Amino acid sequence: MSEPKRLLIIDDDPDFVAGIKAILVKAKYEVDVAYNPKDGFQALKSKSYDLLLLDVMMGRGAEGIMIARKLGKDPILRNLPVLIITGIREQMAFLFPGQAVHPHFVPVDELVEKPVEPKLLLEKVQALLKTAEARKAKSQ
Amino acid sequence: MQPKHKILVIDDEEVVLDSCTQVLASGDCQVATASNGAQGLKLVAEIQPDLIFLDLKMPGLSGFEVLERIRSEHPLMVVIVITGYATVSSAIEAMKRGAFDFLPKPFTPEELRLIAKRGLEHHRLVQQTVALRREKEMLRENFAAIVSHELKAPLGAVQQNLYALTDELAEQLSDDQKERFARLKTRLDDLLKLIHSWLRVFSVDINKLKETFQPISVADALAKAVETVQPHATRKAIEIQPSVADPLPRVNGDEGSLTEVLVNLLGNAVKYSFPNSKVGVRAEAQGPHVLISVTDTGVGIAKEDLPHLFQDFVRGQAQPEGAAGCGLGLAISRRIVEVHGGSITVESEPGKGSTFMIHLPVAQAASESRPTPERKV
Repeated sequence: MSEPKRLLIIDDDPDFVAGIKAILVKAKYEVDVAYNPKDGFQALKSKSYDLLLLDVMMGRGAEGIMIARKLGKDPILRNLPVLIITGIREQMAFLFPGQAVHPHFVPVDELVEKPVEPKLLLEKVQALLKTAEARKAKSQ
Repeated sequence: MQPKHKILVIDDEEVVLDSCTQVLASGDCQVATASNGAQGLKLVAEIQPDLIFLDLKMPGLSGFEVLERIRSEHPLMVVIVITGYATVSSAIEAMKRGAFDFLPKPFTPEELRLIAKRGLEHHRLVQQTVALRREKEMLRENFAAIVSHELKAPLGAVQQNLYALTDELAEQLSDDQKERFARLKTRLDDLLKLIHSWLRVFSVDINKLKETFQPISVADALAKAVETVQPHATRKAIEIQPSVADPLPRVNGDEGSLTEVLVNLLGNAVKYSFPNSKVGVRAEAQGPHVLISVTDTGVGIAKEDLPHLFQDFVRGQAQPEGAAGCGLGLAISRRIVEVHGGSITVESEPGKGSTFMIHLPVAQAASESRPTPERKV
């Protein structure tokens, strides 16, 4: 078998993280966790990951979005696939009228809602990894 | 340093302007003067004074006219009228039209100072009230976001671990245990939905939907709604029978929330239907409206419940086993339909079933210039 894929979760809720990490570890992924945006960014800079799972609502607001924006500006990290995990329901578009319901933060992202069923989570992760690989192969 | 207060005096008598300036101007009080109504109005807009002294009897624009203009353009401005008539009636008339107080001529410096102090104090209170109201409004608007995160985050974390545990323990759990896990998940799901509905009712300004209205296809919204409700119908062996007129004019609105209304009505129809029955959905043009109706042959609604049906927290009495809800669905639906300029009505007979009807106005320009595109079946 090939090398296990390395994933990073950035989410400030340790209990929630435990819930998704268990699913990902069981599916043979190597999973690191950062519980705040700062550590998260540090981890991304110091180690290479195949996918980032990013919580949107952290700390005093949508700090996850800030990370996504920062990633988009980074020449290397912008290619990292991001799976946005959010507690904001689609219907919350009511709260932010006029904004896209599923705003795309970075060009290569997907979005799932908290809580996320194991099957759906693994499907999204696999799909994103596959797309990223295909893109890499094409650019080489 | 900026003076704390800005006072404007509007009076055609030079001597009044001078004496007011002399008495009131100080380190923390700046006095501006205008010798006629037109100039006064210009200064009101320019310097946004905290307090205005306004002479009622002036050549040109009368004091009353100036007062009216100030009140209509700056409803919170504090105006004290100076009345040279020394008649109480004109002063009272001015106060009826929104003046805060009156000052009869001639007045002593002491009287002027006192009344100015009162006026400025009133201005401060008005400003405070406005600030508080704004804060309350913001709190109301942000309430949804805050509560939603605070309540939903822990529930989400619990739910996530239930998912993970069910998955991890799949091989060890007995069928009974699996069933209990599934029930826990359902309960949590219901709770999350409930929180969501409450937030919608209490803190969301549904009128804001109007800002993003566009011509939408009722057929599309209906198709989405049917798709959402289908699994519940299948579970009870209920057949949903849609019948959509083609072409169907578009309506002006928000597809997401209209779909939500339809999901609500269809969901109710399924919920209150007996197993192995049918739920009908029709959409057709009817004069200047698009009529959408959802019909079931379920438990029906008691006559005495009908008038309250679209109010908050009202639920019909007769419910088949397992029908759960918070009684907000129809209230939310009504609000959404009304924001669309439409109406929602119901006809029902206990034991026979119910029909809910939504009338939505046809989108004007769109229905003429843009034909409904072919629907794929």
